[in-house]
Amino acid sequence: MGDIKHRDKENDPDRMMRKGDKLTKLSLTRWTSDWARATPYYEQAANLFKIAKKTEKAKEAHERAAMGQERLASPWHAGKHMESAGALAKELGLWNEVADFFRRASELYIESGKPQPAAEALSRGGRALEDGLPDEAVKMYLEAVGIFEEEQREQMAFDTYRSATSLYIKLQRYTDAATMLLRWGQSADKCKATSTQCKTCVGAVIVYLYAQDFKQAEQCQNDLSMIDAYFQSEQNRFAEQLLNAYREGNPEEVKHVVKSSGVINHLDHMIIRLAKQLPVGDISHLAESSGAGGEAAAEGLEEDDLT
Amino acid sequence: MSIIDMLVRVDAICKKFDKYDPSKQHKDLNINPDDHFLQLYTTMEAEIEATVKKANEAAEEKNRAAVATMNAEIRRTKAALREEIPKLERLAKKKVKALSPEDLAARPDLVVALAARIDDIPEGTMMGAKKKKKIDKSHIEIKIDSAAADEAFRSERYEHTAESAAYQEEFQHRKNKQDQNLDIISEGLSTLKNMAEDISEELDKQDPMVGEMEEKIDKATGDLTKNNARMKEVVSKIRSGRNFCIDVILLCVVLGIAAYIYK
Repeated sequence: MGDIKHRDKENDPDRMMRKGDKLTKLSLTRWTSDWARATPYYEQAANLFKIAKKTEKAKEAHERAAMGQERLASPWHAGKHMESAGALAKELGLWNEVADFFRRASELYIESGKPQPAAEALSRGGRALEDGLPDEAVKMYLEAVGIFEEEQREQMAFDTYRSATSLYIKLQRYTDAATMLLRWGQSADKCKATSTQCKTCVGAVIVYLYAQDFKQAEQCQNDLSMIDAYFQSEQNRFAEQLLNAYREGNPEEVKHVVKSSGVINHLDHMIIRLAKQLPVGDISHLAESSGAGGEAAAEGLEEDDLT
Repeated sequence: MSIIDMLVRVDAICKKFDKYDPSKQHKDLNINPDDHFLQLYTTMEAEIEATVKKANEAAEEKNRAAVATMNAEIRRTKAALREEIPKLERLAKKKVKALSPEDLAARPDLVVALAARIDDIPEGTMMGAKKKKKIDKSHIEIKIDSAAADEAFRSERYEHTAESAAYQEEFQHRKNKQDQNLDIISEGLSTLKNMAEDISEELDKQDPMVGEMEEKIDKATGDLTKNNARMKEVVSKIRSGRNFCIDVILLCVVLGIAAYIYK
């Protein structure tokens, strides 16, 4: 009790909370909640709780502050508080609450007419949820990316794409990861960010190869070679070399191509990890099937020559 | 390139390739198409003249590397011409229709003269003229040639001594080391290139953001200045000198009344 007396009244977060509650709780004497006066108390309380590391109470304080700001018709500040609450909930490990808070924050931002922070809030929410609820995190990333694309702000989306891809790879959903990379490439194309585009395209091919889906990889490479910017890049050459090595069914060649190319070192590190583990599985059967096909074609030519 | 230069060059090129123009040959020299000897003879003569011209150019050339290459070419042409001589001799013995018997007898002599002319073409060696005389002597001749480096390697005149082998090895070793270092440099350069590309993309991203920020800040500054001015106005109105005097006078009046009441 002694130290509470010594403590400055202004620095007592519990006191702040109480004052705020007093102003907002409805009773006989009070018919409407006075949010205008209560909100600053809640905000102060939240800051003080955070400094005191009382996460649970800080989270609550932020929630109340957000509610207050909302009632005061400033959704922007409300959104900020919601985000802080979400971050604190993550520390507490309350994953559902985290998801809720960040979603609410993003809605508030959209209300305030700022879609970009909304998408960023969703992206941050996704990052917070990666450990706890990965599926939910993935959903949030996809929503964020959708908003960015709608608002033509693809450049801000690059970080989100990256996080989403790395999450997919962690969850071993390789086709989804490759799709995300291609979507990233498309955004990069719109912003004329050719270097990023080429890197993501090569990344997609590598992911397909890692997932042992050679046909997809080939198809992907064919589609991508239609793009001028990619076609002229060294990443394209590298992808061609890699696919040729695969067609020959020669794992040594594949490893050699990966090691000797300078292109690999500049890609995202998770993709580098995947590339270093290529070739995955037995690729000799590819050589047989393509070799047999090749021989038949060669024989066909010879027959033509004889006639 | 001026027009004069172009004309001179075109003339030189035409002259050079005139010998390949069959219509020109027929026109100029009135050669019987069946007379193969004369055809070959005239072609060889033209080649000899071209080679002599080249030899003269080589004599005047200052750049030693160019001199060496020219001489090498001259030697090659000479060798080719020498190979044609036996063919010419055979053709010389054949009978041709519209030719007088004296001309026919003269032809082998022409062939010999042509062979001598070929040998006379200077190829950058001082010993070229004496070579024919010394050809029956059996000892190995030391020729002081300004030969090009790879020609010397190609010809089997030189054998590897221990020194030259070691030299070549060291040359290879140093070359390999240079290649390795160049590889390292190229890796570093590609890293720099990537970093530069990333920086450029970031800047492209941030450019519109900075523009927006500038706009908003300008607007905010304008609002602030406006509000400051208004505030100043309001404050000065409240605290104007006149109001202050009125306050003082009223205060005195109140004090006076109080003093009167208490007196």
